[in-house]
Amino acid sequence: MSNGNYNRPDLLDLDTKQETFLDTTEMVLNMGPQHPSTHGVLRVILKLDGEKVLGTECIIGYLHRGVEKIAENRTYAMFNPYVDRMDYVAAVSNGLGYCEAVEKLLAVEAPARAQYIRVIMTELCRIASHQVWLGTHALDIGALTPVFYAFRDREEILKIFEKYCGARLTTHAFRIGGCIYEIYDGFEQDVKNFCQKFLPKLDEYEELLTTNRIWVARTKGVGVLSAEDCIALGVTGPVLRASGVEWDLRKKQPYEAYSKFQFDIPTGLNGDTYDRYLVRIQEMRQAVRILLQAVESIPAGPIMAKVPKVIKPAPGEVYHSIEAPKGELGYYIVSDGSTQPYRVRVRPPSFVNLQALDKMVRGMLVADVVAVIGTLDIVLGEVDR
Amino acid sequence: MGGAYGGDTVSLGPILRKVFLVDLVKGLGVTFRNQSEEQRVTEQYPLERPEVYERFRGQPRLKVNPDNGESLCIVCNLCALACPEQLIVVKGERNPITKRKYPVQWTYDLSRCMFCGLCAEACSTDALELTQDYEMALYSREGMVLDQAALERGQEPVRYAR
Amino acid sequence: MLESIKQYLSTNVTPGEAGSMFWATIYVLAITIGVSLAVLSMNWLERKILAHMQIRLGPMRVGPHGLLQPIADALKLLIKEDVIPAGADKIVFWIAPVFVMMTAFTTFIVVPFGRTAAVTDMNIGILFMLGVSSLGVLGVIMGGWASNSHYPLMGSLRSGAQMVSYEIAMGLAIISAVLMTSLGATGTGTLSMVGIVQAQADQRTWFVFSMFPLGLAAFVVFAIAMVAETNRAPFDLPEAESELVAGFMTEYSGFRWSLFFLAEYAAMLAVSSIAVTLWLGGWLRPFPNWLSGPAWDLAFSFVPGLTFLGLAAMCFIGTVRMPKILQLRIQTIGLGTFGAVLAAVGLLLLVPGVRERSQDVFWFTAKVAVFMYLYIWYRGTFPRYRFDQLMKVGWKILLPVSLGVLIVTAIVGVRQELWAALTGVTR
Repeated sequence: MSNGNYNRPDLLDLDTKQETFLDTTEMVLNMGPQHPSTHGVLRVILKLDGEKVLGTECIIGYLHRGVEKIAENRTYAMFNPYVDRMDYVAAVSNGLGYCEAVEKLLAVEAPARAQYIRVIMTELCRIASHQVWLGTHALDIGALTPVFYAFRDREEILKIFEKYCGARLTTHAFRIGGCIYEIYDGFEQDVKNFCQKFLPKLDEYEELLTTNRIWVARTKGVGVLSAEDCIALGVTGPVLRASGVEWDLRKKQPYEAYSKFQFDIPTGLNGDTYDRYLVRIQEMRQAVRILLQAVESIPAGPIMAKVPKVIKPAPGEVYHSIEAPKGELGYYIVSDGSTQPYRVRVRPPSFVNLQALDKMVRGMLVADVVAVIGTLDIVLGEVDR
Repeated sequence: MGGAYGGDTVSLGPILRKVFLVDLVKGLGVTFRNQSEEQRVTEQYPLERPEVYERFRGQPRLKVNPDNGESLCIVCNLCALACPEQLIVVKGERNPITKRKYPVQWTYDLSRCMFCGLCAEACSTDALELTQDYEMALYSREGMVLDQAALERGQEPVRYAR
Repeated sequence: MLESIKQYLSTNVTPGEAGSMFWATIYVLAITIGVSLAVLSMNWLERKILAHMQIRLGPMRVGPHGLLQPIADALKLLIKEDVIPAGADKIVFWIAPVFVMMTAFTTFIVVPFGRTAAVTDMNIGILFMLGVSSLGVLGVIMGGWASNSHYPLMGSLRSGAQMVSYEIAMGLAIISAVLMTSLGATGTGTLSMVGIVQAQADQRTWFVFSMFPLGLAAFVVFAIAMVAETNRAPFDLPEAESELVAGFMTEYSGFRWSLFFLAEYAAMLAVSSIAVTLWLGGWLRPFPNWLSGPAWDLAFSFVPGLTFLGLAAMCFIGTVRMPKILQLRIQTIGLGTFGAVLAAVGLLLLVPGVRERSQDVFWFTAKVAVFMYLYIWYRGTFPRYRFDQLMKVGWKILLPVSLGVLIVTAIVGVRQELWAALTGVTR
C-alpha cells in the first residue's frame, strides 16, 4: 500500500514512525476506485482501528474529463449537450441550471409555457434520480430487489423523456431561451398516468423498507450530521434538509414556475441515514404533487424567447444555482463579450457533499461507510467533471 | 424504534408488531406479489427489439429527394458549424445549370458524435436527420466515419443469429 | 444375487437395521446423487425465483428457460485454472473445501426420508447431525487460514463466529423439540430421527402445533437460527461484504469454489431436513388427523404423481408459448422433451405399487422444498444485518428466547408431576 506519488506519507507509510496523531495500531484500508458500492470511480482510504473508522480520505479525479475547460472552447449553445454528462443520472437538471444561468447573463426570461414544461421535466428528473438513489442505496445495504423496482419506474420516466426530446439519458432537453421541443400529443396524459401508477409503487417500497427492522437497524443513527456541520461544510440538498434545516432553493430563491405551485419541503429530525431516506421518499411524493399541478395548467404561448442566433453576452459574470436532486447545483459563468464563455465553473452538489463523508463516518464501523456513501447520493461524473 | 414515528408511551401494538415480525412479513408480501408474470419488464434483446419513439436521436441520415434522387443538402455548412465536436466535413460544388449546390464530399464521424441533435436542428433544408436506428455497433473504427453514400443508405444492422 | 435383492426389497427396513453394508452403500450413493441433483436444481431455482421476485427473467438462453444453466456453470468451474495463492498452506488449502463438503454430506446419513428410507437410524440421530454440521465450522476456518491473506482470514473468523453463535440457539430449540417426544404414551423421549417423527405420529400432532405456542416459538427460533447458520441473507455479511472484508472463499476459484458452493447448499438442505423432521412431521402427509381414513389416504397418495404431471403441464405450456423462430427450435424441442420426462415420472408415480413406496419420500422432499423457497424469498427481500447487529440478535435475542422456550416447555411437559409434587397428591 505504498504509493509514493501521494504526498501524505503519514497516511500511507506504515513503517516509518512519524510524529503524527496516528499510532501504529491503526490499519489503512483502501476502498479502491473499482468498487461495487462507491457509485462511480471513487477511492476512499480508511484509517481503521480494528473495525472502527478513525478517518477517511477521498481521492477523486478518476472521471475527470475537463468539462469546464471544454466550455472555454465552445459557444454557449454548443456547450449545452456537455452539461448533461456531468450528473448523468439527472441530466435534465443540469441542462436547466446551465440554460437559466446563461439566460440570466443575457437578461432574458423563458416564456411561461417553456417554464412549465421545464418544471415538469425537472420534477420527473428528480423522481428518476431519487429512484436511482433508492435502488443503489438499498443494494449497498443488502436488499437486492428495490433496485429493480426502482429502475422499472425510472424506465417509465425515461420513456417520457425519449418521447419528448429524443434521448433517455443525455436529454439535451432545453435550449437557451426556452425549449425547442413542443410537447407531444399525449404528454399530459403520460405524466398523469405515471403519477397515478407511481404513488402506489412508492407505498410498496415504503412497505418493503421503512418499517423493516433490519433496514432501520442499519440506517438509524448511522452517519449523523448535525445542522451546524452541514452549514459549515456547505452541504445542500436532502442531506441538509434531513439535518433539520429547511432550505430548498425552489422555495427560498424561486426560479422557473415553482412559485406557482404548492408543495412542502420535507425535513428530518436527526440527520442520520434513516432521515435522509425518509426525506427523499417524501421529496418524491412532493414531486408528484408538483407534477399533477403543473400538468393541469400548462399555459399556451411560445416556447422560445427572443434570443439572438449568435449568443454574445455582454462582458460580465453570473452565478445561478438551482435545486438539483442532489443539492444546490450552481453555474458561475464569466463572459468576456465573445461567443465563447471565458470561464464556466460548476458547483456540483456531490462534490461539496462528499466532503462531509469524513465527518459522518468517524466512529462508525466499516460496514457503515458503504451505507453513508450511498446516502450522500454522489455521482462521480459530477464530482470529477 | 419509536423515533421517527413519535410516541414514547409503551403501547401494545408496536410490541406485538415487533414480536410477530409484522414488518418482515409485509416485506415478504411485497416480493411475493411482484413475482407474477405481468410485472416482468424484461425485453429479451435481440429476439425482442425495443420500440423507440419518433423523436429518438439515433443514426444520422442524409435525406434524398424521392422524385429525382438528388440530395436535399445544399452545402450551407450550418451543420458543420453547429456541431460541438466538429465532426462534420462538407464540401460541395455548384451546379451551373440549376445554380444549386450539391455535396461532393460529406463525412460524419460517428465515433465522436454525442447525438445532441444540434446539426439536425441547424439544417436549413431538413436534409440531415437523426433517425430511430440505434444498432450502430461495428467491428472496426474506420466504419464509423460515414460518407455520403452510407448516410443516404442508412444502417443495415446485422441481425444476430442467437 | 437377485433373490437377495428381492428379499431385501420385500422387507421394509433401513440398511442399518438390516445390517447390510451393500445396501448401505447403495443408499449412500443414492443420497449423494440425490443431494447433488437437489443442489443443481437449487442453483437454477434460486436464480429463477430470485429473478422473478426482481421482476426480471433470470437465465433464459442456456437451454429452455435456463434449465441447462447449472450444468453450464458446473462445466465452466471445472475447466478453470486451479490457482493456489503463493505462500498458502497447500495441504490445508486442499482439505478445507473437501472438509466442508464432507461434513455437509455426512449429515444426510441419518436424515429419514421415509419410515425406512434412511441409511441408518442411529439412536442419537439428531445429536449426530448437530455435531457433524458443527464440524463444518472448522472447514470454514481452515479455508480462511490457508489462504495466507489477511482479509479471508478475518472473513472466515467472522463466519465461524457467526455459525457458532447461532448453533447454540439451534441446539436449545432442538432440545425443546426432543423434550416433546417424551410426552407420548411411553413417557420416554428419543434422539433418533425416525423416533422423533414416530412420536409425532403417535401423539397425533406435528410438534410445531403441540403445546401451542411453545412448539411454534421453538420452530421460529430454529428457522431464524438456521438461516444464520448457513450464512444466508439476511445474515450473509461475511460473504457479501466482499467489498471490504472479503469472505473466506476469495482465494478459491474453479472447482474448489464449487465445492464450497455445493457444501453451502447441502448444509441448507441438511438444516431444513432437521427442521422438517423435528417440527413439521417429517415424512407424514398433511392433515393426518383431520382428514384421516383410507379414502383420504388414497386421495393424498395421488398427490406426488399429480405434482409431477402438473410440472409437466407447465413445461408443455411453456413449450407452446415459446416464440416460433428458428433459433429457438432446439430449445422448444428440449423443453417439450423435459415435459415428457416429467410426465412419465408422474405417471410412474401413479402406479399403485410405486404410489405407496414413494409417499414418504415425496412429502419429506416437498416440505424441504418449501424451506428452500423460504431461503430464496428471504434473500430477495431483506437487507443485510451488520456484523455486530447479527451477533446481537444471536446472543441477546435468540439465545434468551430459546432458553425461555426450553424452560417453559419442560415445565409444561411435567406439569402433572410438578403439580402432584407441589400439592402432595399422587396420581
